[in-house]
Amino acid sequence: MQSAVHWALLGLVIERPSYGYELAQRFEHAYAGMLQLSGVSYVYTALDTLQYRSMIEEIPGTRTGRQPKPRYRATSEGVRSYQERLIAQMHEDLRRSRLFARQLAAFAQEPEMALDVIERYGQACLEEAGETPVLASADGGASPASGLASRLVSEERRLALEARLPWIDYARREFKALAAGRMQP
Amino acid sequence: MSLLQLEHVSKCYGRVSERVALRDVSLRMEPGEMVVVWGMRRSGRSTLLRIASGVETPDAGVVRFEGRDLYARHGERLGDGIGYCRRTFASSEGQLVLDHLIIGLLARGLALPQAAGRARAALERVGIGYCAALRPAQLDCAEAVRAAIARALTFAPKLLLIDEPTIGVDLLARDGILTLLRSLAQEGIAILASTGESPSLSGGRALMLSEGELHGGRPRELATVVPLRRSA
Repeated sequence: MQSAVHWALLGLVIERPSYGYELAQRFEHAYAGMLQLSGVSYVYTALDTLQYRSMIEEIPGTRTGRQPKPRYRATSEGVRSYQERLIAQMHEDLRRSRLFARQLAAFAQEPEMALDVIERYGQACLEEAGETPVLASADGGASPASGLASRLVSEERRLALEARLPWIDYARREFKALAAGRMQP
Repeated sequence: MSLLQLEHVSKCYGRVSERVALRDVSLRMEPGEMVVVWGMRRSGRSTLLRIASGVETPDAGVVRFEGRDLYARHGERLGDGIGYCRRTFASSEGQLVLDHLIIGLLARGLALPQAAGRARAALERVGIGYCAALRPAQLDCAEAVRAAIARALTFAPKLLLIDEPTIGVDLLARDGILTLLRSLAQEGIAILASTGESPSLSGGRALMLSEGELHGGRPRELATVVPLRRSA
């Protein structure tokens, strides 16, 4: 299953059993600025897929009334797959960072071009820093789960930046040294 | 007119092996703005704060505070509009935290009751009113930072400069200090902070110092690509 939205919906069901429309609303709140739903109907398509793959199941007795709202909960298979997905995603993130560093080295003979890219990269990181919310330990959301999620996301952004900025500084120095070397006769 | 304006400021140290601390740095700050400058050690971030505070002269360039050249003030006191947070509490300046806040006010001619009242109010403002009767050595790291901020606040600064506000502070206490700085900015005090940690600060402007050069303003346009000449 490749869709990041599907995995995000599975995570929300693991967090708390929900019905379709409620999931759409929770998705909009939880993943604002990270993922986007093409429409509420997409949630129902995703729920069908998750159910077909035995990752979620309908809670018996919730499909009742004139406007039935079947609620879904995660299966053990779903929880295990979600764990594995998170681990795989972490490896993918690390791979992408290495890839960026390797691709930047293509400018070894054109260091000024690399410096332009580094400048933009640094700018993006600094803008991200200005947007990272500062949350006191008790802040972050209406429910304990959303509060924890906000704090984890905020701290991840902050610590990732803390690691990236020294790398940017290092890369800038490397390419500046190369550029200085090129200018010497 | 900006509150603080640095124009093409440069600073070098040493005569034999000259080290460039700041190189052609320009920066503007408005009232209530919060700017965090990130840099590695020896990147020039502390020099930037000292020059912005008026305690150290630049070799070149101009520093203006409220439109006036900071280095043409001929001995005007630092506390007049600019507060520099020192995290050290010299024993010669008093025994208790409250004493450390009062002494500077007394030196400026305030009577003791007024100085004590203002000092207590500053400690309350930063959330450590209960520390007034403690010795500085009894404060934890976060309380010491708050006390340093309180000491600067007693002079009602328009610009607050703080070097490494969260260094050594516990992760969970750190957000409290950042929230305090943000609330001071919301009251109209401009905050210029330096850090070697993450410069994350909601609503603030983050900049980067690298080898004395300031980065993070508007990025320049990508240079025109010239045809690459590579041997096959």
